[in-house]
Amino acid sequence: MEIFATLVSILYQFATNGAFLLLSALGLIVILGMMNIINLAHGELMMMGAYAATIAYHHGLPFLFCPFLAFFVVGAFGALIERTIVCRFYGRELGALVVTWGISLILSQGTLMLFGPFLPSIPIPGGSVGVGQYSFSTYWLVVIALSWALVLGLWALYNRTLFGLQARAVMQNAAMAKALGVDINVIYMLTFALGAGLAGFSGALFAPTVSIAPFMGQQFVAPAFITVVVGGATNVIAGAVGSSLLLSLVKTPIGFAMGAFLGTVALLLAALVIIRLMPNGLSAVIQRWLDRRNRFA
Amino acid sequence: MRFLRLLTGREDIGGSGLFWAVFVIVCLFFLAYPLEITEFEASNVAFYLLNVPMALGLSLLWGYCGVLSFGQVAYFGIAGYIYGIIAGNMIGDPVGPLAGSAGGLAACALVATIFGYFVFYGRVQSWIVPILTLVLTLLLETFLGQTAGYQWRVGSVQLGGYNGMTGIPSFQLGDTVFIGYAFYYYVLVVVVVTYLALRMLANSRHGKAMLAIREDAVRAELLGYDIRARQLAVFVVAAVLAGVSGLLYVQWGNYITPSQVGLLQASLPVVWAAVGGRESLLAVAIATYVLNWLTYTLSSAGYQYALVIIGALLVAVMLFFPDGIVVTLARALPRRGLPLPLVGRKSGGA
Repeated sequence: MEIFATLVSILYQFATNGAFLLLSALGLIVILGMMNIINLAHGELMMMGAYAATIAYHHGLPFLFCPFLAFFVVGAFGALIERTIVCRFYGRELGALVVTWGISLILSQGTLMLFGPFLPSIPIPGGSVGVGQYSFSTYWLVVIALSWALVLGLWALYNRTLFGLQARAVMQNAAMAKALGVDINVIYMLTFALGAGLAGFSGALFAPTVSIAPFMGQQFVAPAFITVVVGGATNVIAGAVGSSLLLSLVKTPIGFAMGAFLGTVALLLAALVIIRLMPNGLSAVIQRWLDRRNRFA
Repeated sequence: MRFLRLLTGREDIGGSGLFWAVFVIVCLFFLAYPLEITEFEASNVAFYLLNVPMALGLSLLWGYCGVLSFGQVAYFGIAGYIYGIIAGNMIGDPVGPLAGSAGGLAACALVATIFGYFVFYGRVQSWIVPILTLVLTLLLETFLGQTAGYQWRVGSVQLGGYNGMTGIPSFQLGDTVFIGYAFYYYVLVVVVVTYLALRMLANSRHGKAMLAIREDAVRAELLGYDIRARQLAVFVVAAVLAGVSGLLYVQWGNYITPSQVGLLQASLPVVWAAVGGRESLLAVAIATYVLNWLTYTLSSAGYQYALVIIGALLVAVMLFFPDGIVVTLARALPRRGLPLPLVGRKSGGA
């Protein structure tokens, strides 16, 4: 029983870290994989999601609905900045990086001016379950389950719907997709809105666990970027899942033994070694393996 | 002759006799400027100038070599802190500041070489360098922020957590301590020499290879250039230049805090380079000076708006002047004769 409880505890730590990395990175990786654009305002979009959830919660909306509200609010905002600003930077990766950085400065400082240095926080919903001498937060268990449900949902969206088919066509060959009658501007706008909405959704999910402040987005930025770098952009979903699992495998023991900060340092070092070995990320390796298997099947 | 050719080559705006006449006059103006202003104002002007080497390094890296880094302030901070540790432990010894400067720059070069080795020899895609350098900066800030308390000291120097490191010695050569007007001239010489040296580098054969890599890395490699080694070399040079600014900063204010390597500071060199026009060293130097002056003036009026204005400026410049404001203005000037630097070159993607 003792050993069983310890095993469950390790698994819980591992899954929590994995879910944190996955949720932090999901919105970023959707935009990168489909549009080849790094959205440096990602942390600020998560911050917006947390703010939307917090404000709605304190106006009486049950927390259950808050993340979904955040998804639509931030998604709409994402569509807006895609149409007005980001759409001028397709094909200019570094230009897009710099301009989204400018947007992030405006958003974080603007939030400080509008809402002040902090908002009252949301209490963590749910209690805890105990196994042996350990107890686990129900909320995090739900978040872990939700992160996996999100991945499944994304997989279904990209593989089972017309939007997904068209989005993948645009990603592979935009000119050909356009020639076949796909409105690529709409696809780009919806993809960016989806990525922004996912960032808002994650931000709202993390809202009860952190303090709500204008610069809170920064704490998600480093883990999210490392996850994306390790995952690569070849196969979005495989990359995100693979890299968050792998990095959680690095972060969990080191963070447990030496503290959260060194856990994050270990993430950076792991990322440096991994890109030296596989420059296009884990997803390129996974994709190659899938291709080879399909060929022989 | 070869020296002059390198200096007046076409890889930066301006190359005519008139241009160099204006350049010399501006230098003379800066030399004579302290006669007109108080020591306090001279110290402010020195502050605007001391950021120029870091900005020039980023211009070389991003504008000339096509590698964007958001982490230049990390090297700024590394040089500043190492200088503080070495010179602070050698207070009273006239060699201390010199040893501190050498140590700070060596640390920058070392970190940049290790970091750059993994990045460039892995042949990663172009978006990976900026975000990994950004992560490096964030981690450095977090690390320095938690160094409060007595156990975080090196010799007699305390790192000081978010309050930062204080009492860092000024620069000293022999018995001359560079403070006040002397510091102003010291910064001015460093900035002008850095600019001229980088201009010569850009016009040299190495500079041409650098531009070739920016324009088309695969083609440059097929022509026999080792693009990995060259990108790494430029990355290290840019890091050392950021270190130079870091040294000047701690020698100017005698303190440094972790917020100097924070996310907001990290954005500034990118803003300076983008606003000036990253493909021209001189334009970046001018933009750095003007924007530092502007930030200082704005922040005395109310700091909370400064970042929104800088963010909006960055977005507006990227949308409407993708080649930078100074470069766009310079191209609009009427000109006579050859050479026609930067004219007609199709601007590659940002």
